[in-house]
Amino acid sequence: MTSETATDTIISVTEERFGDHLELLSEMSRDFAECGDIEQALRMGLERIADYMDAEGGALFLLNDEKEVIECKACVGPVDISGLTLPKGKGIVGRCVESGHGEIVRDVSKDPSFQGDVDAKTGFKTRSILCAPITVKDKHLGAIEVLNQRGGDGLFSPSDLNMLMALGASAGLAIVNARMAAELVEKERVERELELAAQIQRSLLPSPGGEGFPVSAVNVPARMVSGDFYDFFTLEDGRIYFCLGDVSGKGIGAALTMAKATSLFHCLGKAIHSPGHLLDLINTEIAETATQGRFVTMSAGIYSPETGEMTLSNAGHEPPLIMDMNGQFTEVPAAAPPLGIAAGIAGPEGFPETQHSLEGGAIYIFTDGLTEGYLADGSEMGTDGLKERLLQTQASPHDVRIDSVIGLIHRGGTPLRDDLTILVLDDSDAVKNRPNHAKHLPAQDTDEEGAWLVDIRLPTQPAMLKIIRRVTEQSAALCGCDEKTAQDIVIAVDEACQNVIRHAYRGEDGELVLSISKSDDNMVVRLRDFAPPVDVSKIKPRDLDDLRPGGLGTHFIKEIMDNVEFLVPADGEPGNVLRMEKRID
Amino acid sequence: MNIDSKELNDALVVTLEGEVDLEHSPQARKALLDAVAKNNKVVVDLSGVSYIDSSGIASLVESFQTARKNGGGFTLAAVSDSALRVLQLARLDKVFTIAATVEEAAG
Repeated sequence: MTSETATDTIISVTEERFGDHLELLSEMSRDFAECGDIEQALRMGLERIADYMDAEGGALFLLNDEKEVIECKACVGPVDISGLTLPKGKGIVGRCVESGHGEIVRDVSKDPSFQGDVDAKTGFKTRSILCAPITVKDKHLGAIEVLNQRGGDGLFSPSDLNMLMALGASAGLAIVNARMAAELVEKERVERELELAAQIQRSLLPSPGGEGFPVSAVNVPARMVSGDFYDFFTLEDGRIYFCLGDVSGKGIGAALTMAKATSLFHCLGKAIHSPGHLLDLINTEIAETATQGRFVTMSAGIYSPETGEMTLSNAGHEPPLIMDMNGQFTEVPAAAPPLGIAAGIAGPEGFPETQHSLEGGAIYIFTDGLTEGYLADGSEMGTDGLKERLLQTQASPHDVRIDSVIGLIHRGGTPLRDDLTILVLDDSDAVKNRPNHAKHLPAQDTDEEGAWLVDIRLPTQPAMLKIIRRVTEQSAALCGCDEKTAQDIVIAVDEACQNVIRHAYRGEDGELVLSISKSDDNMVVRLRDFAPPVDVSKIKPRDLDDLRPGGLGTHFIKEIMDNVEFLVPADGEPGNVLRMEKRID
Repeated sequence: MNIDSKELNDALVVTLEGEVDLEHSPQARKALLDAVAKNNKVVVDLSGVSYIDSSGIASLVESFQTARKNGGGFTLAAVSDSALRVLQLARLDKVFTIAATVEEAAG
């Protein structure tokens, strides 16, 4: 090897040269400090030093670790080689980058590392090279080289190398500073954009409904943006459409999908007043464009403040909780998969819907970030914890109730595991404006009335229906019904018993008591079961324009009998009483 | 309840007899859907039906819809008074094709 490393070199400079050195170094440092463009500053530094050393040319190479090459970032001299890349470690300059040592190569033709092909391409004739590394601490960033000293013996001296080493060191610091500054600028830019995204996202959520509005909701993102969303708006007919959803995953990707889902809901909901059909459409839209297997769980519903009736559809979402006026909870589990997994999975009837009568109660829809959130004692709140808090705050206004629930998890100071979102729809004000709201609540059955004909207790098996029909037919005759009326009453009683078997007991073994009496000009049939209380609001005669199997029985009963009502058993024991009355002419 | 089926002309005649109630309608439903799958022209003889409930009516509706979807014929024939009453209550007497006799329906 013909080179000498900087560490071997004895520094010897004259007083005059030393002063020049200092001046040059201070100028270069000023360039680096003042110039915003690092490449321009490096080029200026290179020019100053090439000029000072009276060199024919010079170049500055920086290491690109990713691509494993060194690239010429600045050059001076007759040939412009900026942008030229060499494989890492190749050439004299590459060797310098790798070793971190400065070198004086007095005759390149004797150095096997010399890459003659660059000269061959450019026509420049390299004779000698002075090369110094650009390092900061132990990190090798690149190297500076100057070529062919013009004056004197045309050879670089050890003091030239020292000079170049000094330039390399200050260039290194300038490069590191510039890179850090660029990263900071980029980080600030990303943060500003995220903040903007968060602002836009907040604008997608509806404004509070104002005094007396039955819906309120809270969303607390775990990060700057959220994958949770909710919406509510009033339709022209006075009903209120509402939804709450949770996009799988977190961060900006989830936030973008949230923006899509909530926009689809808001836009399509104005035209499609069936939550099941709406979710079906949103599902197909999201499935057709879903990326990275992202999906959305969502519950949507329509509520009528006039009647307290609510239609709900749940696509894979955490079961919403309905709390009635007595503090009893009913969960509404998902009857369909989340949105975005497969398009067109629902039939012509859309996603399944359920009907509920709020009757002064409230429905709470929330994301699992809430139920899986940590309480102050470190335990998860869970659905039970949520119910407990809702019971404790039952007397407060609905917005206070959900703020209180959120406050259990979002205590400040501790980072959230997941976004927290909850929506409440409260019927307790609207129910007061409903003069007839009490009629849905089952009344107490009275004690015996009239002359009792029959009182039999039977197991709820389909084979027993035959007995019930015979008993009813004979009793009707005893009450004075003609044959046609008797046949009709048989149909009504048979269907009522079927409802007990199929719906009250849901096919489980049970018992029912059939009592028939004659009171004035009426035949009164009572059907007593011992099943859990029936939600009276769910029992509706079906729409006869809708031709499909099933759902006819209740229609038959209402069509045939003159008066039909559900009553709470007089004995105070659990169960239901269906009292049916038929006038006998 | 009794179920019987026989061919008449190019039709398959399914005869339901007795009480088509919750206990027996699953059998009736199966027989009717089988018939609709097998033959493009099905006639259901209801002359011997002494009682039919909503579950029995549902079986008729489902079979009727299946036949119509497949482009087949589905006719109720010689409907007994009690069955007709239930069809009327369900407002289905105008939906089904009802023939006075099996022969007329199968002809």
